[in-house]
Amino acid sequence: MLFNSFPFLFGFLPLVAAAYFAVPRHRLRLLLVVAASYYFYAYADWWFPALMAGSTAVSYVGGRLLEAERLAHRRRLVLTLGIVGVLAVLGYFKYASFAGGYALDFVHVITQQRFPGLRSFVSSIVLPIGISFYTFEGISYLVDVYRGTLRAERDLLRYAFFISFFPHLIAGPIVRYGILQPQLLEKHRFDADRVRSGLLLFTLGLAKKVLLADGLARYVDHYLATPAQLGFVTAWGSAIGFGFQIYFDFSAYSDMALGLARIFGIELPWNFDRPYRSASPTEFWRRWHVTLSTWLRDYLYIPLGGNRKGERRRDANLLATMGLGGLWHGASLNFVAWGLYHGVLLAGTHHGRRRGLSLPRPLAVAATFLLVTGGWVLFRMRSAAGIGHLYAGMLGLHGFGGVPGHLFLYVAISAALVFGLPEEWRWPVERWNVVYVAAAAVLFAVAASSVYTSHPFLYFRF
Amino acid sequence: MRRLVVFLVLALALLAGAATFNWWVDPFAEVWKPGAVADARAGGCLVSQELIGIRYYSFKRDVFAHRPTRTFVVGSSRVLEIASHPGERTFANLGYPGSAPETILKLFRALPAKPRQTVYMGVEAFWLNARYTVPDTDPSAYHLAEYLLSRSAFTTGLKFVRQAHYILYDRWRKDEVGRHCVIGRIFPSINWRVDGSRVWSWELDPRRFSKVGAAPFTGNLETWRNGYYADWRTLDERRIHLLEQALALARERGWRVVGFAPPEPPHMLHVLDTDPRIAPRWHAYLTLMPRLFARYGFVWAGLEDGARVPCRASEYPDAFHTDGACSARVRRRLDEAARRPH
Repeated sequence: MLFNSFPFLFGFLPLVAAAYFAVPRHRLRLLLVVAASYYFYAYADWWFPALMAGSTAVSYVGGRLLEAERLAHRRRLVLTLGIVGVLAVLGYFKYASFAGGYALDFVHVITQQRFPGLRSFVSSIVLPIGISFYTFEGISYLVDVYRGTLRAERDLLRYAFFISFFPHLIAGPIVRYGILQPQLLEKHRFDADRVRSGLLLFTLGLAKKVLLADGLARYVDHYLATPAQLGFVTAWGSAIGFGFQIYFDFSAYSDMALGLARIFGIELPWNFDRPYRSASPTEFWRRWHVTLSTWLRDYLYIPLGGNRKGERRRDANLLATMGLGGLWHGASLNFVAWGLYHGVLLAGTHHGRRRGLSLPRPLAVAATFLLVTGGWVLFRMRSAAGIGHLYAGMLGLHGFGGVPGHLFLYVAISAALVFGLPEEWRWPVERWNVVYVAAAAVLFAVAASSVYTSHPFLYFRF
Repeated sequence: MRRLVVFLVLALALLAGAATFNWWVDPFAEVWKPGAVADARAGGCLVSQELIGIRYYSFKRDVFAHRPTRTFVVGSSRVLEIASHPGERTFANLGYPGSAPETILKLFRALPAKPRQTVYMGVEAFWLNARYTVPDTDPSAYHLAEYLLSRSAFTTGLKFVRQAHYILYDRWRKDEVGRHCVIGRIFPSINWRVDGSRVWSWELDPRRFSKVGAAPFTGNLETWRNGYYADWRTLDERRIHLLEQALALARERGWRVVGFAPPEPPHMLHVLDTDPRIAPRWHAYLTLMPRLFARYGFVWAGLEDGARVPCRASEYPDAFHTDGACSARVRRRLDEAARRPH
């Protein structure tokens, strides 16, 4: 079920919210939200909840065992088994098709055998939406319990709530249990101001998605369908347009998730903070998909040694972390290339800083924006030919090209919003007076009436 | 609390207002409007396609319900010009674009078993191409709710109102096309008689409206006749089974069914007979149908060769659909076949 869909907006959300506040007992409320979240997940495919239940069970039991066990080597073993357990599900559903396809291609080259049955089986594996997100949440929980920074949760209901809570289930933010646990102990009474604030934030996200991201998508998809025909201006316009599209799309989902959770009395961590205002790639990753980048930092980069073992090792760690981060986005070489590209940018930033290189902030912001836009080409174009054609267009090898008026209008509006106003979760919606609230109601009505033709969220694929 | 109430009430009021506007203006004609058909019936008028839109199923059931029907025809858009004889009140045309065995079975199930009916069933060969997809002519309440709340309907509705202000006060109006009155809106290009049969505007007023043109056969099956015959490999067993279910239901109710292939102009019959991508399935269909109808005790009238009806090539304005004159002759052939002992 999409947040930007009629069943969610006019069925699921009002019913679950009304039932949540109508139920008098706290545990019953938790149970209600868990049941509703499983239904929400089953709406995509009936068997997906079984996977989530399995992943929840593995990490929950792993956490309990880690806390009960005192011997270091056994604790390491439990942690390893727990991580392998949750990663195995992700590995099979997300990467088996990718790895199996390449393996079969390799075998084909050696033996000239095509194995059509096996190939068809491998390519028929369906990726359950949201699996990448709740797998990472389970891993962070296990590692935090192992490190002793978090007490293992004894209450399965609270733990199931953490994994399944529908606002963050499908596309994040990637929540850590330490943030949610204290909030789950409180009983949330109906608070009109908090519900209004959540609804307003949700409205801003919905509007950003259906009015801006979907509007950009219409033109970006049109131009990028034929990358070989794009001149310099159109190629840059499309690449920049895609940069704004994916930002609005994903940050809109995060705003909606934060707003929805707030309605239920839960504050989720923010995920975006106007990343295109960054003056370096390092700053970009402190503002873009923050819950993922901090996850990668805390559970991958630092355990690999971080920057504590010399420059070369740091560079290698950055490349490994970002390469795996790219692979997390999708089982495809272009995502790995995108991750490695950002790894190179991050390493390059460190080297530049050490050599005392610096630019005035406006120039640094512009340079970072262009570098990030160059990276989006790898992310968006799935084939080597498409990537090559678009880069060629951006280098002017296909001529100057016409000016795509509607796309440029959208890009100009997007740029004005991105560079002129703070990220939506920073807007003081809780203090808005009745005039602003009425304007938001109009925005909600316009956005809700646009969901009929809305696109699914881009990050659902990851 | 006050601001929360303001937000919810205002948002819901705006959405309800937009939905009401979309329901009233209905720019894509997805809302069934029995009132327009009732007005046409009361005033002896035709009703414009602008008001029927995709709601063929509701329209045809309404036609059946408001006539003492004893004989009706079902089939695709190619049977739509088959009309009542002058003064005849017991005939109804229940065919519609996008028909197929599944829609005919659904319609049969929805109609009352009594009184007994004589049914003329135009069976298209391309229905037995599994690639032929049946459009939704009976949208669900959920689909309708989505439509009523959609911004695209609202913005298109505003354009309609700018073009014809009267729509804000009257959802339709009486128009004159030739010597006929039509219950319509802006441009009545296709019109329906109250017996469910269709009439083109150029048939009503040849000076004001021009004939549709015939596209030549270029050999590209993807574009010829909307691609209905493209990639046709076998006779679709599922559709044959559905057709048999419809025939079995008709037999159970004691109805009399006459099957027929809608007539083809000579040059198109030649394509169907000789094009190697179509001919084997076309001939298999022509062989199967008489046997299938006979299995249930019904007659197959053929009629695929339009020249034997007889219809002239000029009586197929788009080389696909028959006009009113040819269709009247088809009706007579069907009446004769119905009188034959079954």
